[in-house]
Amino acid sequence: MAYVSIPAYWKTIPQRYSLIGLRCKNCGYINFPAREICAKCGKKSEFEPIKLSGKGKIYSYTIIAAGSTPPEFLLQEKYVGSYPVAIIELVEGPKIVAQLTDYKIEELKIGMEVEAVFRKIYEDNQVIRYGIKFRPIRKRRIHKGS
Amino acid sequence: MYKVAIIGVGQTRFGEFADKGVKELFVEAFLEAINDVDKGIDPKEIEEAYIGNLGVGGIQLGNFSSMAVDQIGLHGIPATRVENACASSGFAFRSAVMAIMSGVCDVVLAGGVEKMTDIPRDKLRYWLGVSGDTEWERLAGMTFPGVYALMALRHMHQYGTKREHLAMVAVKNHKNGAQNPKAHFQRETTLERALNSPMVAYPLTIFDCCPVSDGASVAILCRADLAKKYTDTPIYVAGFGAGTDRLSLFEREDFTTLMSSVLAAKQAYKMAGIKPKDVDVAEVHDCFTIAEIIAYEDLGFCKKGEGAKLIEEGETEIGGRIPVNPSGGLKAKGHPIGATGTGQIYEIVKQLRDEAEKRSRQVSGAEIGLTHNVGGSGGTAVVHILRRG
Ligand SMILES: [Zn+2]
Repeated sequence: MAYVSIPAYWKTIPQRYSLIGLRCKNCGYINFPAREICAKCGKKSEFEPIKLSGKGKIYSYTIIAAGSTPPEFLLQEKYVGSYPVAIIELVEGPKIVAQLTDYKIEELKIGMEVEAVFRKIYEDNQVIRYGIKFRPIRKRRIHKGS
Repeated sequence: MYKVAIIGVGQTRFGEFADKGVKELFVEAFLEAINDVDKGIDPKEIEEAYIGNLGVGGIQLGNFSSMAVDQIGLHGIPATRVENACASSGFAFRSAVMAIMSGVCDVVLAGGVEKMTDIPRDKLRYWLGVSGDTEWERLAGMTFPGVYALMALRHMHQYGTKREHLAMVAVKNHKNGAQNPKAHFQRETTLERALNSPMVAYPLTIFDCCPVSDGASVAILCRADLAKKYTDTPIYVAGFGAGTDRLSLFEREDFTTLMSSVLAAKQAYKMAGIKPKDVDVAEVHDCFTIAEIIAYEDLGFCKKGEGAKLIEEGETEIGGRIPVNPSGGLKAKGHPIGATGTGQIYEIVKQLRDEAEKRSRQVSGAEIGLTHNVGGSGGTAVVHILRRG
């Protein structure tokens, strides 16, 4: 029982895999996800595809408790338990909704800087659905030698 | 345009009823509404019906309205199922009002029904959350409480609202529900219990969420100039408004307001010729506690960002400046999705007629009442303003 059919999912793969947004040539607004009529100016204008950087900040987040996840995420619930889902405000402007990964739950907060990574999202009808998750940007110190 | 009056209302208790299906529930609410018309009405005088239903636990997804009027012996009249998620019967009521205003009909039925507890828990997970955005929000693992949790966290961030304020909404609505024989939950709760119950979607606990309920509600409306033929205490529809917003929360600019509610309220106040401060009693859409705080602001009961202060100061309790959800609201009265909107109408009609079953729940001297019914996470919203005499 699939909520979003496989063909419907496939049609959005450029956005789900590569964060391709559409810049409206009439008003400049970046539409994400893709659409035919600009969400800002309401015109059926021309759009220019634009690759979003995948960098942004947490605008809001929640932690979905185990036991309340959508059925598509039962496997994740079984192996991981509760998981955070966030709204990320990208540096280019658009907000997107995605799960977080490689996080420490206690350090999550509004305004935290994150970047997009390619990950498995869920399995349905024996098909693995891939997409984007976000992880905190850490300033790593590189140690050389031992 | 004609003016519109409500001449009868009926509502089942909201709750979990193993022995009642969608048909039995609807018939029960219908019969109560017919009997509520104090000077009597022949059901055959009803010319049209609008019925709210989302179809959860449905035995009949297509042509639901035909099944519903068939069950009440009114097959023959035009009937339409209205689906706007949790605002289905609020919008059914609006359609009934417009059918009378336009002069097409004199007497119209508006109602709603939902049977949710018949579905196995795992299948219910598929149904809950279908009224938000499925393609992106849900496929990120988001849930319906999760979407309101995102709003709550932003409200806390922007305005300093605290989890305690959310819990205060739960405590107030449980207190009111405990006085309502038709409520799903008829017991009080404490701030401590609400705060320390299990998290569903941080920062929302199970006590911040409304239950899954069965139930039905019906209102009978007629042209205002004919109302006295049916009842000595008609309640008039003074104004209404409705709106929509971006379906996905993440595509909205501000998470701390529902634009659909703001637009709906603005139209309703204008049509009724009143200001928010003129409202004596309101039933608002508290599917989650944060939704009630946001509703205070969107409906103009306080300034933007001051919803937490309003609940903290007790202004929305019975006896306060603007009592909200004397029925217990969705939180305690229950939320049978398709039945909620006309269930709010039921409560306000009873309040304006001074007929609350228990006096402790009656808002004394209420003359103007407001209902506020939201679909999903604000994708749709509808507001009605009702008036006595
Ligand atoms: Zn544009």
